[in-house]
Amino acid sequence: MSNVPKCLSGFTVIPIAYPSSSHFIYARVHAASKSKTFKPNNVLPEGRTLFLVNVPPDATERELILLFKHCGTVERVLFDLNSTDALAEHASDSDEEMAEAAENPDTEARPRKKRKLQTSEPTPPEVIPLPSSSLRTLRKTGSCAHLIFLDSSSLAKALSSPASPKPWPSSEEPRGLSHYMAKYDNERPPLDAIKAHADSFMERFEFDLSKSKQEAKYRKGEAIMDEDGFTLVTRGGAYGQTLGGGVGVASKKFMLTGQTGSIRKKEKKKEKEVFYAFQKAEKQRKALLDLKKNFEADKERVEKLKESRRFKPY
Amino acid sequence: MTQVGFEDANRHSREEPLTGHELRDIKDAADLYQSGSFKLQIDALLPNVRPKESGREQLDRFLFALHTHCISIPSIEPLNPLAAAKALSKQGVAVPFAFPLPSRDVKWKVAFEPPREICIVGSWGNGITVKKQNGSRFGVDLSVEMPEILFQEKDYLDGRFFHKKSYYLAVLAQSISTAFDVDTFYSSVHGDPRLTSLVLRPRNGSTSHDFFKSHAEVHVIPVLSSLSPLSPSRLFPSHSNVRMPSSSSPPSFPTPIYNNAILLSTYANEALKSTHGLKNVLPAFHDAYTLLRVWANQRGYGDGELCVRGFEGKGSFWAGLLRYLISGEELVGTESGSAKLRKPLGKGLSSYQLFKAALDFLAKQKFGETPVFTKTTNGHRCPPEEYITHHPAVFVDATSTINFLSDVPLTSLDLLSHDAKETLEQLSNPGTCSDTFAECFLKNRFKLSSRFDAVIRVDLSQASRNQSTSALVEYGSSDAALLASISSTLRQGLGNRTQAIAILQPVTPCRPISSAESPSTFTVHIGLIYDPAHAFRLVDHGPSAEDQDSNVAKEFRYLWGSRAELRRFKDGRITESVVWEVTTSDERAHIPVSIVQHLLQLHFGISAKYARTLQTPFDSILRLPDDVRCLHRATGGYKAALTAFDGVVKNLKTLDEQLPLALLNVNPISEYLRYTSTFAPLPIPVSASTELPESLRFLPTIPIILEFEKSSKWPDDLKAIQKIKLAFFEIIAQSLMTSNTGLKASVAIDDSSNPFQGCAALEIFTAEGWSFSAFIWHDREATLLDRIIDPSKMFVGPSNQQYNAREQCEAKVAKELYTRRFIHAPRHHRAIANLCHKYSAYSGTVRLVKRWLAAHWLLQPHVSEEAVEIICALPFVGGKQKSTESAATVPHSKERGFSLVLEFLTDWKWEEPLCLPLYKDDPPAAAPEVWTSNGPDAIVVRRLRAFAKEASKALHNAETKIDIKSLFLHSTDDYDIVIQLNPAVLPRYYQNINAESSVWTRDSHLGMTESTPRPGFDPLPLFLADLQTTFADTLKFFADPLGGDRIGAIWLPGLESPRPFRALAGFSSKPLPKGDKAKDKELVMLNRQAVLDDIGRLGAGLVQKIIVHERM
Repeated sequence: MSNVPKCLSGFTVIPIAYPSSSHFIYARVHAASKSKTFKPNNVLPEGRTLFLVNVPPDATERELILLFKHCGTVERVLFDLNSTDALAEHASDSDEEMAEAAENPDTEARPRKKRKLQTSEPTPPEVIPLPSSSLRTLRKTGSCAHLIFLDSSSLAKALSSPASPKPWPSSEEPRGLSHYMAKYDNERPPLDAIKAHADSFMERFEFDLSKSKQEAKYRKGEAIMDEDGFTLVTRGGAYGQTLGGGVGVASKKFMLTGQTGSIRKKEKKKEKEVFYAFQKAEKQRKALLDLKKNFEADKERVEKLKESRRFKPY
Repeated sequence: MTQVGFEDANRHSREEPLTGHELRDIKDAADLYQSGSFKLQIDALLPNVRPKESGREQLDRFLFALHTHCISIPSIEPLNPLAAAKALSKQGVAVPFAFPLPSRDVKWKVAFEPPREICIVGSWGNGITVKKQNGSRFGVDLSVEMPEILFQEKDYLDGRFFHKKSYYLAVLAQSISTAFDVDTFYSSVHGDPRLTSLVLRPRNGSTSHDFFKSHAEVHVIPVLSSLSPLSPSRLFPSHSNVRMPSSSSPPSFPTPIYNNAILLSTYANEALKSTHGLKNVLPAFHDAYTLLRVWANQRGYGDGELCVRGFEGKGSFWAGLLRYLISGEELVGTESGSAKLRKPLGKGLSSYQLFKAALDFLAKQKFGETPVFTKTTNGHRCPPEEYITHHPAVFVDATSTINFLSDVPLTSLDLLSHDAKETLEQLSNPGTCSDTFAECFLKNRFKLSSRFDAVIRVDLSQASRNQSTSALVEYGSSDAALLASISSTLRQGLGNRTQAIAILQPVTPCRPISSAESPSTFTVHIGLIYDPAHAFRLVDHGPSAEDQDSNVAKEFRYLWGSRAELRRFKDGRITESVVWEVTTSDERAHIPVSIVQHLLQLHFGISAKYARTLQTPFDSILRLPDDVRCLHRATGGYKAALTAFDGVVKNLKTLDEQLPLALLNVNPISEYLRYTSTFAPLPIPVSASTELPESLRFLPTIPIILEFEKSSKWPDDLKAIQKIKLAFFEIIAQSLMTSNTGLKASVAIDDSSNPFQGCAALEIFTAEGWSFSAFIWHDREATLLDRIIDPSKMFVGPSNQQYNAREQCEAKVAKELYTRRFIHAPRHHRAIANLCHKYSAYSGTVRLVKRWLAAHWLLQPHVSEEAVEIICALPFVGGKQKSTESAATVPHSKERGFSLVLEFLTDWKWEEPLCLPLYKDDPPAAAPEVWTSNGPDAIVVRRLRAFAKEASKALHNAETKIDIKSLFLHSTDDYDIVIQLNPAVLPRYYQNINAESSVWTRDSHLGMTESTPRPGFDPLPLFLADLQTTFADTLKFFADPLGGDRIGAIWLPGLESPRPFRALAGFSSKPLPKGDKAKDKELVMLNRQAVLDDIGRLGAGLVQKIIVHERM
């Protein structure tokens, strides 16, 4: 491994000894890009975050921590942050909480922000998560990770080129066949756990729903009225009552296209196509020309086939 | 027309106006031919099958020289035939005497006189020759008229005419072979020495008489002069013209074929004139004749690698057929007054119309029942009844002298009718196949496996030939007598089980003039085309017990031998009958073949070993090894699976009170419930599961769909809907388990990160050992997903909700799964189940094709099961809505279906959509890409086509070698990496095509004694999917989902070269060594070995070793 460059485009090359080869992880100090300075509110603290490229596809947090143990204590590991960011960037930022909740509705506790707001209100029921055991998550090969050290001094240690390739550490999460078996079993939790999870989720859902109804601007049975005093007549809701209010009338088609009814379906042709002599003549002429055109096209096709020696039956 | 719209001329100046002539041409093409392009293709085809002008002069020069030579051959004094033959054999020329051979003490003598006349006859004489199959030469028929003084009045007796003719031919052969620098051969049609002719082929590079360029050979045929003393009336079919000295045969028996063979010697010149006349009155005759011959040649009625028995050298039949259509029928006075006569066709028909008329006649004609007499000028020469009683099939020519079909077995004529029917079907439904013209004229049908439902290869050398002398005399050779007898026995024995029986044999080869006898035929192929309504009947009824002594009963007992027995049937009848015992559906499909084998054994002493088919090897491909079935104990099968499904549905329906919503429907969406899984499903009860070794434990999970009544109680939120489903599943699982002992139910939750996707399923594991997984269909999901995907559709509701790009993306994925699983899968299931019921061979075809694709590592995930099912439907439904099982093109056996699918795949243009009318309720326009969205991609299709081509070729060869398994063996040479897995831990390994029983017999449990059964657990696809997603941009993986124990992979192209370092490269890289040039410093390249180590680590416990194929 002596002739491998120690560093590459600003990345330190960290060789890892595999059973019959060497794997290479590229490390660099994490630098927040300028365009989104305000963004990850100290999710990736500058100065003590290490950016790793080409992490093995089955790496776990524990394994990376073990790998860099000699440099210092690792606070946490974030995998594949870049790709998530890239996607999230498209959406509006106001939605961040939602996205976070959506990402992991089962296990994530309630978002902090809301909790603060609702101190006076009744506490929402907790969602009981489904039992989960630690399983490996496979990532695409060549992916990256962010490693946050507790102390910024560890960073320099991590970036100093190691003397010799380190072996890849291994955490206890199963691999291969046992991984698939564990996964199979894990996917079939006991029925009471499912019941508890589903019931608590629905309780929470009802709670949120009623709360959003309370908070909503319009109440059931009340018409939606704009500044000019026009009532918006909407569709939706059951039995003549809309969710937001008003009387349900407008058809779905109207809502979508702005067109009403199917009266215009039977539209008669306004003009006879063949009325004047010249029209008739023209039509005939056109038909003939089409005939010829088709014939020529056929001929061309057959010529082409002929070239491919197709017509030699044997 | 050109004057119309003068002022418009400028506008259309680019397009030249049509002339009247052009217009007529175009109109004609559309009206008189199938379509304009059909006409153009015919025009392109015709010159390719006709002789070229070049070389004709050389040929003419040779023929002239030959004429001069033959006229001046010196006479030979009358001699005893054997003495004369001896004299000739000294010069190396044999006399091809026919049976019965002349004896030493005959009083008549053979002699030679120079011919009276030499003419070019046959199709060359009329200039209507059509190219033959296999690049054979054009035949130039030269009739050499033997002087009448050589013959006596009684020469029709005992083959004397043939002996004299043979001697005459031998003298010609001797003289020509010494005088000319050409190759000389004898050629006997069907190996019949009575129909021997002399063949002259140019020697390449010969100096004097080189007509090589003309691509022709000269056939010298001695003919009888019209002045000959042989009386035609002595040659009527009923006359007996061979007196056998032996007492074994009846004293006199009619010899219709013998008589016909003599008459053929008078026919050549007549035929020339008749065809010439036809050509003159009928402008389209030449083209129509050519089309007909090309069509016939492509189907083996003529010379080719295989020839339908009886149609060798039957060139005059095709001209005779057209003559009949044009001139009409001769009146036959039958007992019931004159039959209705066929109307002659008009003379102004186009070539295509004539061709179609000929096919129409062939398709409708029942040669076995209705005789055909062409209109003559002077009425019948011979009473028509004589033909009808003495020939199986009658087609008498316009001179009323010969019967074209005297030696053509009825089975071959059935096949001719069938082929004509098939082509007519294609022509009248131009939409059915992609290219009607090619199907009709350009593709040859010599691939027997795709032409016949069953192909039986019979070794004739094993046949016992205890034929009567009368049969030998009549048929001219032992082979011919044997085949005629086989043909009639099979036709009688199979009865209406088959639409056609084909006996195909290689064309009789030419032999050197030093050998008198034609080489005998060793193998023939018997092809069967089933009639699906009757083919698999279990019982053949014979005459009833009352007429035990009648001829019919005797015949019946003779035909079936010991298998015929008197039986009483449920309806009280007691009849002679033959019962075919079957235990499995596979065996039932073998009934027609076993009938053939039984009859061949009984009557001809050909044991089943020498009459082989490919059916059994094909069956074994779809059957599990015996010891596996033995270990499994449970008897599975589709019927059992369907019963289990019905049981589950019943159980679910009884839960109605305990469920908040009523269950409306349960829809199956599994290949196991529609007869199309490669292996019939096998249940594994809990008790048995733990005893089975790991490699036998695979238990398929059968997906089903639950549909509940509509309700407004569902929440209007996708995530909540999924949770409600969970709650539903929990209730169902609990109540199912309480109401059914032995049944186990659990809820499987896929750990999909997609919050919108319904990832939970209810798994039901019945006491009998069947496993089902149920999904709940809630139609509101689609609307909700649509609102996320396209927010403009969302007009009400919590309007402050906004979705980001990732959520929209996830919603799209979820929607795709939703439509596939809940909308298309049930519909597809219904359509395929229908097909299975409608076409008996469909299910087997799909199973074989799936097995084949799997064996070549292309099934799942590359080609989906559903896509295979749709592709396999192609040969069955064609492209048309209404098709019945009895249509001529529909295969009736899985072997033929498989072969047809392979042929389709060979030139599958996957870019072009494939439209089949499968779904009756809806137009297929709705989402056609559902089943192919995940592949196959271009790489896979290319591989697929290559494999199909190879397999199709191998199948063609397999007819001789009978080795089917090799079609299903996959060569791993072209993979860069082959990952060998440990078969002992693969629950599906027993399905492997090469499964080794040592894997499950030896105790290779690796210490993992799993006590809990895991229905549906199969690590191979999981591992494969993980590998494919992890290394999506590095490698492409292939594996056999049906018990495969290896995974093949190829490096994606473009990764070899070093490239600049990037953080998100998407592949595992290594920096280039330092030693290189300085500018390469920033480059990295693919770290192959590390990737292999990654794979090995990911598959710990599964992977045994990784083999790398190095290639430079």
